[in-house]
Amino acid sequence: MPSDPAGGTVTQTATITPAMEAVELAVKASTAYQRPDLAARARQALRRLHNPRVRVLVVGEFKQGKSMLVNALLNAPICPIDDDISTSVPTVVRFSDDPSVTLVRAARISGEGDDREERTQVPVEQLADHVSEAGNPGNRAGLKYAEVGVPRHILADGLELVDTPGVGGLASVHGSATMAMLPSADAILLVSDAAAEYSRPELEFLRQAGRLCPNVACVLTKIDLYPQWQRIAELDRDHLASAGIDAELLPTSSVLRLHAVQSEDRQLNAESGFPALVTFLHDRVVGQSGRLADRAAANDVVTIAGQLAAGMRAELAATEDPGRARQLVAELERAKQRAADLRNSSSRWQQVLNDGIADLNADVDYDLRDRMRTIVKEGERIVDSVDPGKAWDQFALQVEDQAAAAAAANFLWASERARWLAAQVAELFAEDGARSLPDLPASAGPDLPELIGEMDDPGGEKFGAGQRAFIGLRGGYMGTLMAGMYSTFMGLTLLNPFSAAAGLLMGGKMMRDESRRLLDRRRMEAKNTVRRYVDDVSFQVGKQSRDMLRHVQRELRDHFMARSDELVRSAQESLIAAERASSTGQAERQQRIADLRAELERIAALERQGQALVPAGD
Amino acid sequence: MEAYRDSPATQRWLRGELERIDAPLQVAIAGKVKAGKSTLLNAMVGEMVAATDAAECTRLVTWYQYATAPRLTLYPKQGGPRPLPASRRDGRLVIDLNGTPVEDVDRLVVDWPSRRLQATTLIDTPGIGSMTTENSERSAAFLLPEDEPAAADAVVYLMRHLHATDFEFLEAFSEYGATRASGLNAIAVLSRADEIGGGRLDALQSARRVASRYRADPRLLGLCQDVVSVAGLLAQAGRSLRQDEFQAFTTLAGATRDDTDALLLSVDRFLVSGPREDALLPVDARRALLDRFGLFGVRLATTLVRQGSGSPDLLAAELVRRSGLDELRTALTSQFTQRRDLLKARSALLAVDHVLRREPSPQGRSLLAEVERILAGSHEFAEMRLLAAIRSSSVAIPGPYRAEAERLLGANGGTPSQRLGLVEDTEPRMLRAVTMETLERWRRLSEHPVYPHAFKDAARTVVRSCEGILDELPD
Repeated sequence: MPSDPAGGTVTQTATITPAMEAVELAVKASTAYQRPDLAARARQALRRLHNPRVRVLVVGEFKQGKSMLVNALLNAPICPIDDDISTSVPTVVRFSDDPSVTLVRAARISGEGDDREERTQVPVEQLADHVSEAGNPGNRAGLKYAEVGVPRHILADGLELVDTPGVGGLASVHGSATMAMLPSADAILLVSDAAAEYSRPELEFLRQAGRLCPNVACVLTKIDLYPQWQRIAELDRDHLASAGIDAELLPTSSVLRLHAVQSEDRQLNAESGFPALVTFLHDRVVGQSGRLADRAAANDVVTIAGQLAAGMRAELAATEDPGRARQLVAELERAKQRAADLRNSSSRWQQVLNDGIADLNADVDYDLRDRMRTIVKEGERIVDSVDPGKAWDQFALQVEDQAAAAAAANFLWASERARWLAAQVAELFAEDGARSLPDLPASAGPDLPELIGEMDDPGGEKFGAGQRAFIGLRGGYMGTLMAGMYSTFMGLTLLNPFSAAAGLLMGGKMMRDESRRLLDRRRMEAKNTVRRYVDDVSFQVGKQSRDMLRHVQRELRDHFMARSDELVRSAQESLIAAERASSTGQAERQQRIADLRAELERIAALERQGQALVPAGD
Repeated sequence: MEAYRDSPATQRWLRGELERIDAPLQVAIAGKVKAGKSTLLNAMVGEMVAATDAAECTRLVTWYQYATAPRLTLYPKQGGPRPLPASRRDGRLVIDLNGTPVEDVDRLVVDWPSRRLQATTLIDTPGIGSMTTENSERSAAFLLPEDEPAAADAVVYLMRHLHATDFEFLEAFSEYGATRASGLNAIAVLSRADEIGGGRLDALQSARRVASRYRADPRLLGLCQDVVSVAGLLAQAGRSLRQDEFQAFTTLAGATRDDTDALLLSVDRFLVSGPREDALLPVDARRALLDRFGLFGVRLATTLVRQGSGSPDLLAAELVRRSGLDELRTALTSQFTQRRDLLKARSALLAVDHVLRREPSPQGRSLLAEVERILAGSHEFAEMRLLAAIRSSSVAIPGPYRAEAERLLGANGGTPSQRLGLVEDTEPRMLRAVTMETLERWRRLSEHPVYPHAFKDAARTVVRSCEGILDELPD
């Protein structure tokens, strides 16, 4: 256990990684050279390194042992388990020094602005009352999710396990909510028990998940109980292979794991299959996200070093060759102007961003309307063929289901496209940003093109065909950029069509009460109710999508504005340094050159340290 | 048939339906893939007639009907029936299609000399939601045919947990057609009950709790008569427990608790080969036990022997008792067998109705009216419809009366004592008195001005049921 309750100041990651060292050095250097803007950026990077977040979604059909798996992984009875009652609210389990349970509820929309989250701390033992079907059937309490903090070593690297409500239960609006959470996940564990091979919906889910998430693993649970689990595992592997899904299959037994931990039986632990699962989570999921974080840190360090060096290089060049000083100053003036142009709303990246968001808004809106219209049409067709007074409950459920699925699909699509747009903007900014620094000999100016070099090139790919590319986008620079946006995705993903759904069921009650009315009249009313409901859902989902896009826009604008500011400042510093150089006396000149060379060497060392974070050839 | 004298095809079809009226009740066993349909069928027959496997196994609709000698017949989609060779291997029936492709087979019929099949013909169906779409389609075509009434009189629907897709199927089956009283010909079974709760010893109690919760779920009530939990594997193995198996359990129960607990921890542990384990029981014997009973079954049987089930008969009886097979059988008897004639009549009337609508004729029109009159007029159908209506809550009966109304309408069984909720051997005099009292009470309800019309109509039907009970009682 890394926690030390008495100490009080234990941070999540007790170890200092090379990335942290390098970034800390960058903080010091930026402060020393009086660049608070760069220091702030480095500090932000440092904070991210200290508080990594790796989200793993545990998903699957209901009653397959998802909650049990989470408990067995953590060796603690956290998620409530029952033979019958299922989980109804997603539960996020993450590291904390003291056990805690927080319920998160979306505050009602009040006027303009973002939805706020309303957080309530409850005693740890009350969790089951809030997240299971028993205490909170169909999540009528309207919780977004529950957050559980536990002091467990396995979570110390920022691993976050999300226990989701099972798909396919009777109140299965859950299914779409789970789908909508996919974009925010770093890894997905599909849980299914060894009683039977994969069903079609499970494979379909895996196929979808593979497109949206870089790491997918299939966990086969309850292998202690089923004599034929090896057969099932084989069959499942065949299914995966023939469906072209690249996912590991990990047979596990939560019962054996808990037993093994209690009796400290290593052999049994190995039989439980959990070591392989832990390895997967650590080496592949956390490891990969760690490598991405390192890469992002490397980018920050190298950029900061480059910007710090720019001024000194300019001074050095001017000092070494006073004759060229005038020409150099003129060049720097132009570079400064180009950097300043980046901040103008007429700059290319800003135009692309603004136009892109506007287009996206229109497209997403159209897509949503289109999907909803289909639901209304289908609903009307059904209403015409049956008596809506009789089959209302079932019909209402079906419409709710379809609406939730359509909303989730729309939202997924919107967030994918938002990411794509972000990549485009980043690329444009990089191109123009590179020209905004003077072309100096041996320039190690902010090497922007390299920053996005790691991104799979989305430019040539048509949207939709190259969806694999989006996974790549989460690496390196985009990783940093997206870190800010993840919260947006997570925050909005748990659509809660429940408030509107209440209206749909209610309408049905009314209809039954007035059962003496004519059938036509009932049909009319049913259609109107469906239309009203779908309108309502469209309105809410539309607002969420617009909020998400607005958030993305703001996030991107702020991010690149800050980068522009840095570039302007660097150009400014270079200019001042060059002018200072021309006024340096002959006597001091040699001394100054030596000093500058030494300083530059120090910065180059910092840069090398940053570059070393990314393994060669990676 | 008179009306369709000049249409041989229709005549043949109708004759088939006519034969069906006298044939045993046809009960289909349906459910999603791997729900344990074939295992349950074996348990119900008491012999290993249907093949079972860890992978998806049943590919064809297979009828199991009573006959004095075993015989296997294949009905292709085109052409006449063909006999198939039947052979038994390890006590299991082996079916060889003789090279006929699965796609061309309409159904298989297995004649089997089992007492259990005398009253009911069981029909095994491929699982719904199969990876191989064709298998599922075969089931759907059989259970929910598009252009004619379903071949099964009743359905036992198996599910592991109540999944939304299970719900959809039950709904489709009960809403199938317009004049049909819904939900009265289906029983839902929570199968593989031994696997609930990871095979703990109290799994079966837990399964019963789940079943009773489902039973109380208003959404399910309208769709099926009853929900029971059954551990099919346990029942199947219990029904055919052998002496050597009992011996093996005795050996296991005789070992020290630590030794058996270590063995019974997981399936892999149970099959470990080592000097100590092999001395107790050879690994092959253990594998055989596991195949037949499952881990839960081995755990339970060992515990039972330890607690004093001292003979194969005692152990077998206890295993079967715990499996829930008896409850299923009781439910089948009270819901299906006692209503056999009614269900049969319903199937037949629907068949006639279907023909008349498909091939209208002048004589047909009056017949159609007659069919509709029977369907609408006869009290038995009225009872069925009202029951369905109460269960789907489309007729609201105030709380205290609801359970009694359902019982009087025959929800728990059709005999007078069952309807009155009295013990089986109640004296006729007593029965009569209770019936009179009940009848009077419901008559008052049916005339009471404060209640809505729908309720009064319902009460009148209940009164008629009471009168029916009086008729059945000896004077």
